[in-house]
Amino acid sequence: MKLVIVKHSTARSITGACAALALALGPAPGVRAATGSLGTGFRQVLDAVVRIDVREVAFDAGAQRFEASIGSGVILSEDGYILTNAHVVSPRAIEVNVTLANLERVDAKLMGWDHWTDLALLRLDMGEVKRRKLKFAHAKFGDSDRLYPGETVYAVGTPYGLTRTVTRGIISNTSRYFEDDKGVDGYETGAFNTWLQTDAAINPGNSGGPLVTEDGLVMGITSRGYLGANNLGFAIPAETAKRIVAGLQRDGGITRSYIGIVPRELQDLETFYALALDTGMLIDSVDPGSPAARAGLHGGDIVLAINGHAVDGRFPEQLPPIQNEIASQPVGAAMVLSIKSGTQERRVTVVTERLESSMGEEWALDHWGLTVRKVSRTFARLNQLADDDGVIVLGVQPGFPADVAGLQTGDIVTQIDGKPVTSLEMIKGAYQSYAEKPRPTLLEANRDRGVAFYLIKP
Amino acid sequence: MKRFFLILLGAALTLGARAGNLPALWAERVKSVAAVDYFIETEAERHLATAYGVAIDRQGTIILPSAAVDPRTSPSQLKDFHVYLAGDPTGHPCTYLGQDSLTGWHFVRTDAATAALLVPVTQWAASGPSPVPALAEHVWGIGLRNKDEDFTPYLLSSQMALIQSLPQQTGIAQQEVAGPGLPVFNDDGVFLGLAESSFGQTFLQFSRSDRDGAPIMLIDLEESSAFLLASEVLPNLGRVPGNVFGRPLAWLGAYGLEAMDRDVANFLKLSDQSGAVVSEVLEGSPAEKMGMKSHDIIIAIDGKTLPRFRPDHVVTDYVEREIERRRPGDTMTFTVLRGADRIDLTAKLGDEPKLAREAERKYFDHLGLTIREFVYADAIARRVRTSEATGVVVSYVKANNPAAMSGLEEDDWIKEIDGVPVRSFAEAASRLGAIAADPARAEFVLLVSRGADTTVLRVKLR
Repeated sequence: MKLVIVKHSTARSITGACAALALALGPAPGVRAATGSLGTGFRQVLDAVVRIDVREVAFDAGAQRFEASIGSGVILSEDGYILTNAHVVSPRAIEVNVTLANLERVDAKLMGWDHWTDLALLRLDMGEVKRRKLKFAHAKFGDSDRLYPGETVYAVGTPYGLTRTVTRGIISNTSRYFEDDKGVDGYETGAFNTWLQTDAAINPGNSGGPLVTEDGLVMGITSRGYLGANNLGFAIPAETAKRIVAGLQRDGGITRSYIGIVPRELQDLETFYALALDTGMLIDSVDPGSPAARAGLHGGDIVLAINGHAVDGRFPEQLPPIQNEIASQPVGAAMVLSIKSGTQERRVTVVTERLESSMGEEWALDHWGLTVRKVSRTFARLNQLADDDGVIVLGVQPGFPADVAGLQTGDIVTQIDGKPVTSLEMIKGAYQSYAEKPRPTLLEANRDRGVAFYLIKP
Repeated sequence: MKRFFLILLGAALTLGARAGNLPALWAERVKSVAAVDYFIETEAERHLATAYGVAIDRQGTIILPSAAVDPRTSPSQLKDFHVYLAGDPTGHPCTYLGQDSLTGWHFVRTDAATAALLVPVTQWAASGPSPVPALAEHVWGIGLRNKDEDFTPYLLSSQMALIQSLPQQTGIAQQEVAGPGLPVFNDDGVFLGLAESSFGQTFLQFSRSDRDGAPIMLIDLEESSAFLLASEVLPNLGRVPGNVFGRPLAWLGAYGLEAMDRDVANFLKLSDQSGAVVSEVLEGSPAEKMGMKSHDIIIAIDGKTLPRFRPDHVVTDYVEREIERRRPGDTMTFTVLRGADRIDLTAKLGDEPKLAREAERKYFDHLGLTIREFVYADAIARRVRTSEATGVVVSYVKANNPAAMSGLEEDDWIKEIDGVPVRSFAEAASRLGAIAADPARAEFVLLVSRGADTTVLRVKLR
């Protein structure tokens, strides 16, 4: 079974019709009548939930293309900050349009993005809000650490474009472990937080909407669900979201530290490693060339303590907080890890680096019919490349010069006219000079470790 | 007009005479072909495989095409070879001699009694230089039915359509002209060549329901329209392997040769010739010692410019065959293009490092896995220095057995057993042997490497 994000793509559905129907029905008398035991806090949160229509650029087919999708979001403050998912609005977005509870539409801008926790922070165009004297409510965070399994929660959002749909369920699990190294449009997610699991119905389009309690406090941001399952939905806990929102408001992104260990729960292996109960976290793998590798750590080592305090990584859901503790160190900080290798115990100092995604920046070289992504340091490391020179071919347009030359998706272009492709700017420059004065251009590319040449001809 | 008529009549008479000879030619030449079957014995299974070949000498040596044996198998897994004469269900035991690296042929040899029943194909060779069939010339060959039809021989015939240098001279007939590995003759019964795996005719099958899906390529496994000309076959019949691994094997260590298309060749001013790009130069290899660098473009060997081929990619086979036809210790000079420079490099060819098919293996039935010695090619595949090459490789995992249940996969590289590094194959074999033999053992732990990652696996035995 596959856990998928619940963004709704407008390309393939009946959304238009459904959305129109919902709009025609108007906002709410029905909902108000149904609230009964639900108080004003709950009604206010309903008015803070927005529909988000996004147009974004995609680079996967040898040309720039535009894709449209629909998600949900929740307004957090009277100055117009909206929280949604990183997979709803990403830096690829070129147009973000928000529909408020009163059905007014306002443009918004991406203010911060963190794929690791699948959160994005938007801000309404406040100039327009003031000019049009628009009104909106905003929601408050609750304390997600105090949730208990079985507690009633409501998911609010725009499933399949059905604006402001409320579904009800319970908290099924308060700290679910889920990690996916391509989970947010190819970007990594889930290593530093656990998730709330709920059986409230979550459908495509719910993404980015709030999961709230009866008193209307936001306990989580709905993000994904199991495809084909009965109501296994996942949300980012409010306690994680609060921290990330603060960081995104301040810096537009979250800077994290990296040491290069891949942790694994110890479950069942304590006896083998002769460990005291509830002690230690297993290192399953160490990234080649990472700070941990340079410090001599390797797969099969046990981390007993970090900076002097003991760690307990017996179960999977215990791993994200430990990973988050490492990630929360300042970049360049020296961390002291107490390590057990076999029967030996030792203390190792590891100096952290800045955490980077394996995804690099993307670009389209339209006249060549070629779209590329820069090879990142992380991508090079994971794929055992000698260095991070080059761009990965994301797509070629049939019949265009790159296709005629023989380039294929997945090739890594390493040189242009004999010069190494050290940056995306370098290939943009070569493309620009070709665009101004077309002439045969020789590309060198790697495919499955084979090096070959390709001639781009006008 | 009258003269013209006479000429036509004469031609008709000649054709008629040859056609009349065919049954006699057939009856003799069919004694040169044989079917061979054998078993591939793996840890859990035993498969029967069948191939066709020709006798090449009076000692009962038979050559089979390279596709006769799955290249992933080790010679130690090939068992119970039997040879069958055309149309005869009696199996005669024979011995597997090995594969020749240049031609790819597998050699087997029958006992003396069976050898006496076979006629070497050399018997039908032209006395002078081997004839090259002309375009449209009528050619015929032999096919063999399956075992359940007693390997009955049957006639195939066609006309020559094309001769290509791939880089070996290869004839392509209009239709199937022989079974792969079986001989082709002209109307005089002169040996013209040996049929290859079929590639002259390829069929694509498109799905009626899945119109956007990729078509399926269909290849005729039983008959072929392509054959290697006799001039490529006869000079190599003496390459009988001295051992099952076909050693000695000449080795350069230039890895991942890549061809270039015409546009690139012209751009690099290699218009009337070919070039082959060297993707990587292997650690400790003769190529490295002579100073070859990755991204060098080989443009000549021993002063001889690499010829132009159609299609372009044939050049990589050409370079590889130039190496394979030599022996370890031979010298070879390569002219390479490096940037704007042309550089001559001379290598003394080495002996190919131990191959995976030659590696030691051990199967542990109780654990459900086979380990294999870590060889040079494993270090190359995993991009590690040969000095880091400790540990063993998992070559087989038995489904639903302890190793498989732990998540172990074929091709995993075992680096530690129970937290202790594995230094050699012998050490790994003895430690796993001790674990398997200990009835009190409840579990053991492996550290395996997979791509750039490692993972810890717990193998539960009870």
